[in-house]
Amino acid sequence: MANIHTFSACLALADLHGDGEYKLVVGDLGPNGRQPRLKVLKGPSVLTESPLPALPSAAAAFLMEPHEPRTPALALASGPCVYVYKNLRPYFKFSLPPLPPNPLEQDLWNQAKEDRIDPLTLKEMLEGIREKAEVPLSSQSLRFLHLELGEMEAFVAQHKTQPIRRQTVITTMTILKKNLADEDAVSCLVLGTENRELLVLDPEAFTVLTKMNLPSVPVFLEASGQFDVEFWLTAACRDGNIYILRRDCKRPKYCIELSAQPVGLVRIHKTLVVGSTQDMLHSFTHKGKKLWTVPMPAPILTMSLLEQRSRGLQAVMAGLANGEMRIYRDKALLNIIRTPDAVTSLCFGRYGREDNTLIMTTRGGGLVIKILKRTAVFGEGAGEAGPPPAQALRLNVPRKTRLYVDQTLREREAGTAMHRAFQMDLYLLRLRAARAYVQALESSLNPVSATLREPLKLHAVVQGLGPTFKLTLHLQNTSAVRPAMGLLVSCLYNESLYALPRAFFKVPMLVPGLSYPLETFVECLSDKGISDVIKVLVLREGQSAPLLSAHINMPVSEGLVAA
Amino acid sequence: MAEEKAPTTTQFPGTIEPQKPRLKKAPEFPILEKQNWLIHLHYIRKDYAACKALIKEQLQETQGLCEYAIYVQALMYRLEGNIQESLELFQSCAVLNPQNADNLKQVARSLFLLGKHKAAIEVYNEAAKLNQKDWEICHNLGVCYMYLKHFNKAKDQLHSALQLNRHDLTYIMLGKIHLLEGELEKAIDIYKKAVEFSPENTELLTTLGLLYLQLGIYQKAFEHLGNALTFDPTNYKAILAAGSMMQTHGDFDVALTKYRVMAYSVPESPPLWNNIGMCFFGKKKYVAAISCLKRANYLAPFDWKILYNLGLVHLTMQQYASAFHFLSAAINFQPKMGELYMLLAIALTNLDDSENASRAYAEAVALDQSNPLVNLNYAVLLYNQGEKKKALAQYQEMEKKVTLLKGSSSLDFDPEMVEMAQKMGAALQVGEALVWTKPVKDLKSRHRTTSANKSSNLQQPLGSNQALGQAMSSAAGFGKTTQLPAEQDGYNHSRLASCDDSL
Repeated sequence: MANIHTFSACLALADLHGDGEYKLVVGDLGPNGRQPRLKVLKGPSVLTESPLPALPSAAAAFLMEPHEPRTPALALASGPCVYVYKNLRPYFKFSLPPLPPNPLEQDLWNQAKEDRIDPLTLKEMLEGIREKAEVPLSSQSLRFLHLELGEMEAFVAQHKTQPIRRQTVITTMTILKKNLADEDAVSCLVLGTENRELLVLDPEAFTVLTKMNLPSVPVFLEASGQFDVEFWLTAACRDGNIYILRRDCKRPKYCIELSAQPVGLVRIHKTLVVGSTQDMLHSFTHKGKKLWTVPMPAPILTMSLLEQRSRGLQAVMAGLANGEMRIYRDKALLNIIRTPDAVTSLCFGRYGREDNTLIMTTRGGGLVIKILKRTAVFGEGAGEAGPPPAQALRLNVPRKTRLYVDQTLREREAGTAMHRAFQMDLYLLRLRAARAYVQALESSLNPVSATLREPLKLHAVVQGLGPTFKLTLHLQNTSAVRPAMGLLVSCLYNESLYALPRAFFKVPMLVPGLSYPLETFVECLSDKGISDVIKVLVLREGQSAPLLSAHINMPVSEGLVAA
Repeated sequence: MAEEKAPTTTQFPGTIEPQKPRLKKAPEFPILEKQNWLIHLHYIRKDYAACKALIKEQLQETQGLCEYAIYVQALMYRLEGNIQESLELFQSCAVLNPQNADNLKQVARSLFLLGKHKAAIEVYNEAAKLNQKDWEICHNLGVCYMYLKHFNKAKDQLHSALQLNRHDLTYIMLGKIHLLEGELEKAIDIYKKAVEFSPENTELLTTLGLLYLQLGIYQKAFEHLGNALTFDPTNYKAILAAGSMMQTHGDFDVALTKYRVMAYSVPESPPLWNNIGMCFFGKKKYVAAISCLKRANYLAPFDWKILYNLGLVHLTMQQYASAFHFLSAAINFQPKMGELYMLLAIALTNLDDSENASRAYAEAVALDQSNPLVNLNYAVLLYNQGEKKKALAQYQEMEKKVTLLKGSSSLDFDPEMVEMAQKMGAALQVGEALVWTKPVKDLKSRHRTTSANKSSNLQQPLGSNQALGQAMSSAAGFGKTTQLPAEQDGYNHSRLASCDDSL
């Protein structure tokens, strides 16, 4: 494993020594992003390696001055600085100009310095600034706002002498030709910063040539044209939009809304190809008009440009999470390269002495270098064209058995008879069901009353061994709202067998939903070990027909049998 | 997940402890945003584990002040379905930076996902004050209003979203509202504009195709469905709809090839097996048809269309007793369709139950509005029972319907039906019968020309007058009204055999 963990933005190919042997510059984040290093590779091996003070966000090789020897300088963006190397030696460090602090905030801290303001008021005033002000607070003030009462004093004492500073960081970097369109022309650095600005730097003096504002933080940056003539800057931003800026305008000229986050941005002549988190490649004109969309089989991890100068081919490479690297020319899939691990960064160009080399690094830290055959021609149609493969599969039609066929034949012969027999049986079944139902209704035999006025439910429990039993009737009013009143319970039984002290009694008002236990005792008079049925009827006052009834099979009185 | 969450959320109150030792050594503060770019890169690559580790580290270092880290953490919570947690984090982002409309938008979005549409609308309005020209705010307000059933407000918001910036999603929502209000034409207009704007969106193409299908504009429907299939040959809805249209034209083999793609990806779709079954029916492979239809019925036992087709196939197979069961089951689910009663009547006639058959016919005639077959069949039954007067009444009723249909001329008359009608007319000694046939022939020739037009378009010959196999295909829930009228042809075929003898 080469142990390289990086992004496409941190890869650059350059003839660093001017000997015609191109090297690979890698701004390596290190495993877990803890050991940032600058690595220079020659062939498959690391030539030099030097530690970096902070994580690199982008790397680029560019020509600083038009004089000979024309060896490119190397720029590495990291935190708020750009480190420029020449001949692989540190040459210059450019720091982003500090941002102007909020004047009100500055004023407050000045007052604090002269002890004219107590920490509590300071806190309140700062809070007020934070709520409304256009210019955000410095990290010092923000930290202060989050302190408890007791610590404020000490904090103010320690920090009041320090000037207020607001610093931003570089999020992305690219290069833009200064005044010539040649391959090896002097180029400016273009920086995208966290405070939503684009800066163009002078290649020799490292002064800010121009500054542009964006509505959001840039993530990917593409530049074309020449700074002194006419140029386009394309910035894919964190709000999911792509902004296109031109020379002489401080604000974006066009805006493309993706409705998803961009994961890669490649410019081919005047078209833009953008990969989105919805696993799609979109193409737009440089004026923001949508051209085409191609779905990807897996999430896109990184994208880059493939340029084969000898054949004038420009294509887009996209590394996918499923370990594929796809190459597209416009909509057409040119090739798929399968890698053992998901490709996280891509770079194509002259490496060593070979013109068309593809460099890929994988998620696990691997490095894959592929050289394109000099005779190779990319042909379209390498991808899946035509109907999907499933179209060739046979339909899984369920088979029918011999028995089924026989039954069919029989039905054809004797369909009428079968139908008649069935109808006859159906009528009989319905008749019997209806009869049983009517009978139950007539005698209110069922323990659930279905009448609309008195929906009731009854169930009974018999306790005891005998000769005295306790009969508990649980009566429940199942209506939603209406209470049931004026109900009576009557027990019908064989008087020679049983004696009930309360064979007929009133039921209290039944509140809907509650179950009321009504208890009564039953004395068994017979000692012959026989039992009978007790019928419990629930009646409405003034009506002879019962609302519902229950038949209780009494157990044999064991008490007397034993005695 | 749980252990990840605890440290990050407790960060905000507990910012004090590590402060003291740091104060003495390092008065210089780290830049709060210094790793935002890396967090973002991990996030868009969906490398959530790395992203979370980084956020945790970043929040520890900045003591919970890094707004963007909290923001991304909240986004990831939401992706994982912890909407409540994400809402809380977005709210704390909004506290850290009240000037940022994005924070408010995300708070509103989480509220929306929690189903609190009214609260979401309030927050969106708040966000709209910070950022006037944001299509997303307008769009989401529109969606919220749609769920609250304030359709007019929703439409206003969606239109203003379209004015700010055009997005497929806004078009889809606007179309949906028009459909909810039952305005098919307006919905079509919206989808037309949408397709113009993004001609490769298969969802838009399919929906537009299905809407045309519903209106009976078959050519345009097929055009759009075909386009959808060009861009995505595995599109479920488009395959079903296009397949069912091919079936209506008798291209059963082409339809079957299309269905194969679907049978592989969605093997348990009832409408798919229904359509496959009717393809086999059209190819006169009745056993296969019954197998497929029974599978469809097994997958969707309450779908009356499948039962209808089962009834139809069993009638053709002369299994009248089985047909009776399927048809009566279908009638239980769909009691308002004349054709179902007619098929039931045919089954009953063949089961020698002419009394119930007449009753079923009476019901069918009462329910049916436009199908002359119902009346013709009823007339045949009445004639066979010797009730010439009633038969004549039905015959005249049928003629009325035929004249009406000729006016619209969208339908093609089955030659067997025409022949049968002529015989019937002769038997009833209706003088007009001869007059009647001529316009029909005219009409047929006219139909031929249109079908020739179509065939050049569809690149496959149309089986112009195939008696059988006009299947009721429930094309992904659409096509209910369009597919039906053709069906009875299948029945009529089997019916004729018995009629001929009696005449």
